[in-house]
Amino acid sequence: MGEKIRNPHIDSLKSQLAEGKIDRREFLRFATLMGLSFPAAYAFVGEVTGEGFVAPARAAMPQGGTLRLGSRIKEIKNPHTYSWGAFDSNISRQVVEYLSFTDENNVTHPYLLEKWEVSDDLKTWTLRLRKDVKWRKGRAFMADDVVWNLKHVLDPEVGSSVVGLMKGYMLTEFDTGEKDDKGNPKLSVKLWDANAIEKVDDFTVRLNCKEPQVAVPEHLFHYPLAILDPEEKGVFGVGANGTGPFELVEFAVGKNAVLKARKDYWGEKPKIEQLEFIDVGDDPSAAIAAMASKQIHGLVGADPVQFDALKALPGFEFHKVVTAETAVMRVKVTQKPFDNPKVRKAMRLAVDPPSILEVALRGLGVPGEHTHVAPSMPDYAKLPEMKRDVAAAKQLLAEAGYPDGFDTEITVAKDEAWHAAQVQAATEQWKDAGIRVKIKLLPGAQFWEVWDKVPFGCTVWYHRPLAIMLLGLAYRTGVPWNESNYANPEFDKLLTEAEGTLDVGKRRGLIGQIERIMQEDGPLVQPVWRSNFTFMDKKVKGFTMHPTRYIFGNKLALEA
Amino acid sequence: MIRFIALRLAALVLTLLAASFLIFAVTEFSPGDVARKTLGPYALQEQVDGLYRRLRLNDPLPVRYMRWLGVLLGLIDDPLQDPALKLDFSDPRGKRYFGNFGYSTLYKAPVNDIIWDRLSNTALLAGLAFALIVPLSLIAGILAGMREGSRLDRTISVAGIVFTSIPEFASGVFFTAIFVVGLGWLPGTSPLNRNAGWSIAAQLVLPVAVLVLYDSGYVARMVRGSMAEVMNKPFIRTAILKGLRRREVILHHAIRNAMIAPFTVILLQINFLISGVVVTEMVFAYPGFGRMLLEASLFGDIQLIEAATLIALTVAVSTQLISDIGYMLLNPQIRL
Repeated sequence: MGEKIRNPHIDSLKSQLAEGKIDRREFLRFATLMGLSFPAAYAFVGEVTGEGFVAPARAAMPQGGTLRLGSRIKEIKNPHTYSWGAFDSNISRQVVEYLSFTDENNVTHPYLLEKWEVSDDLKTWTLRLRKDVKWRKGRAFMADDVVWNLKHVLDPEVGSSVVGLMKGYMLTEFDTGEKDDKGNPKLSVKLWDANAIEKVDDFTVRLNCKEPQVAVPEHLFHYPLAILDPEEKGVFGVGANGTGPFELVEFAVGKNAVLKARKDYWGEKPKIEQLEFIDVGDDPSAAIAAMASKQIHGLVGADPVQFDALKALPGFEFHKVVTAETAVMRVKVTQKPFDNPKVRKAMRLAVDPPSILEVALRGLGVPGEHTHVAPSMPDYAKLPEMKRDVAAAKQLLAEAGYPDGFDTEITVAKDEAWHAAQVQAATEQWKDAGIRVKIKLLPGAQFWEVWDKVPFGCTVWYHRPLAIMLLGLAYRTGVPWNESNYANPEFDKLLTEAEGTLDVGKRRGLIGQIERIMQEDGPLVQPVWRSNFTFMDKKVKGFTMHPTRYIFGNKLALEA
Repeated sequence: MIRFIALRLAALVLTLLAASFLIFAVTEFSPGDVARKTLGPYALQEQVDGLYRRLRLNDPLPVRYMRWLGVLLGLIDDPLQDPALKLDFSDPRGKRYFGNFGYSTLYKAPVNDIIWDRLSNTALLAGLAFALIVPLSLIAGILAGMREGSRLDRTISVAGIVFTSIPEFASGVFFTAIFVVGLGWLPGTSPLNRNAGWSIAAQLVLPVAVLVLYDSGYVARMVRGSMAEVMNKPFIRTAILKGLRRREVILHHAIRNAMIAPFTVILLQINFLISGVVVTEMVFAYPGFGRMLLEASLFGDIQLIEAATLIALTVAVSTQLISDIGYMLLNPQIRL
């Protein structure tokens, strides 16, 4: 191992791996997070466990051809303000790249970075850029590019959702001095310190954070944080400059996007000549028809309602990955009857997660435990199963003053069919405990107007690699996306402690305590984790399903 | 005649004004906020409010309507193209020109860049369908109406009812199951994209077939009804009794008279084919006008909805005008 490591966290991780307290995957994830380079981390795993680092045989991949994937083609003009991830960013992702990369095992690697280093207090992150990266138009990729992009996404005027993600440790709120129509002072956010994003030299950028933050590398892979050419002022389109393996040559919203492979790409060279995304619309049967007539080789992601039809088509391969994507049926703890923790627990006890998984997702996922911490996350702690117990639920309702149960209404978005299916299944099971729920189905666009305002709603939460990321976004007192108004000082304290704890064993203990709080007191019923899946033509090689449905065109090949 | 056309055109302008104002008002009361939809669910409320202000959505309704009208007529600059707003809205045609439909918040491009392409796609689909619907339904309707109650009449009538009552989304799926999945003869979707292994012509077959099946059954029944009625008229009986051959009677006496009522119905199909084909476009992922209008409506993209509506209205009023003139030519008793 030629690498000199001074970070005490890494030493601690190494001993935890050697003592068997953490497994190979967790070691890789945290060691690379702390700045150990990937080969070095793998080499260390090999030393300890005897496992080799086997790179898949890419040399034998077929070359050339046009690979066509079915998707939705939405507008892609401003990558820093992308709002939905899988559709828009998958097109620009082939052209403009990210500083880090979270793989299908939830391990985050450096990407445009060579490595990163973090201070012991987790407040200073030093990002070291690769020196061999060139923009397609010829210029070298430098620290100024990174600084411009980070400042651009964090400018509230730009409208990037990275602001929500990094606000806690990079930004501070201030009064603009203006008043809105109602006479309230207008608030805005700005970098908490003029030196928060610091250029150290041409290939080094330092983030000086306000608070300790362990998930900075994961945040750098958030889909709006693509590194754009500053000269193009945040606008993307046909012919846009990029450091990535492809160039966008044709684009029409609602129709298609054509990407041509670059011969002079700095990284793993593309095997296919051309990658094309084709709009297959919102009608689930259109995508199936396009697959059947071989107009496309595969889908960026398939929906459970398409599963049976796609499985019946010959010549396609099924790809699946377990994710931390879920739909949470959450209540506002400030409103009756949900203000009583006994009512909330009764709602959890009245449902049976395995049968809801079968009904809503055809078994394509794993049962949830009402904790919003997924088994696929490194900091997950296994608790005893919370089994359905209608008698106990009725008992709790009676204690809470609802011996005859209660009536309520749940709001759910139409966008993804399985959300409504989950709500229907749960509603039937709640009936047995006397909880009578009416379902209000809204079109997606209308749902997102009220998602954080309705007393009882079903909200999708997309995959995030770490439990602390999700819990901090959705349940910490007073944060913008705390849709349930949950406020529990003990939860907050444990979460803050977990965010600053690198020792996985200790962190898992803390997360375990949080999971218990969620089951006893939490504002949610969360019966399933979905798997993301798709079908690809057997001729497509090198594809692995990513938990966030990201496509990496340079890894794909096509047999003639 | 000229006076009639001039009056009709004046009525068109008034209709367009009234309709465009109504759309503004209705969109005002429909739920959903363009700024939130643009930024997605994960943006902070402060960011949403900021964009809302920059899009000038907090101005009163009449102010926004007059501004939209001024931009459309080329009387004022499009205020959203001001670079100081940092919206990145720019139109290569300039900020002020006649026919400036403004800027689409959904597609982040000038409406004029999006809408004409979509309209021509739908016009292609509609044109092909119309070219088949008219002769097919005329022939079927005349054959059926010629001898009311005959076996041919019953067969055509029943088939017409059956075809018309199968909705497009159902026939689309049946056709796909047979010709795409089963036989493998045709492509399952129509992205109008040359590289996808199927010719554009092949991609048009199924959507056109669905429209023709759905619509010609209806039109054929209208033609049949009118034809049957004419065949019972005294002048047909007279013609037959004076010894004319049946062929002569039908070609020279019956058809022209039987066409007066269906003529309007046939022209009305143009309106349906331009703005009512959204279901067919969805089933075949066809990049058309109907699907665009649906997406714009769900998003609350007022500029795009307005432009699409004005175009659809203009088409509707024009076909109405043509049908009135045609009516007059077919029936000399009517003088405009």
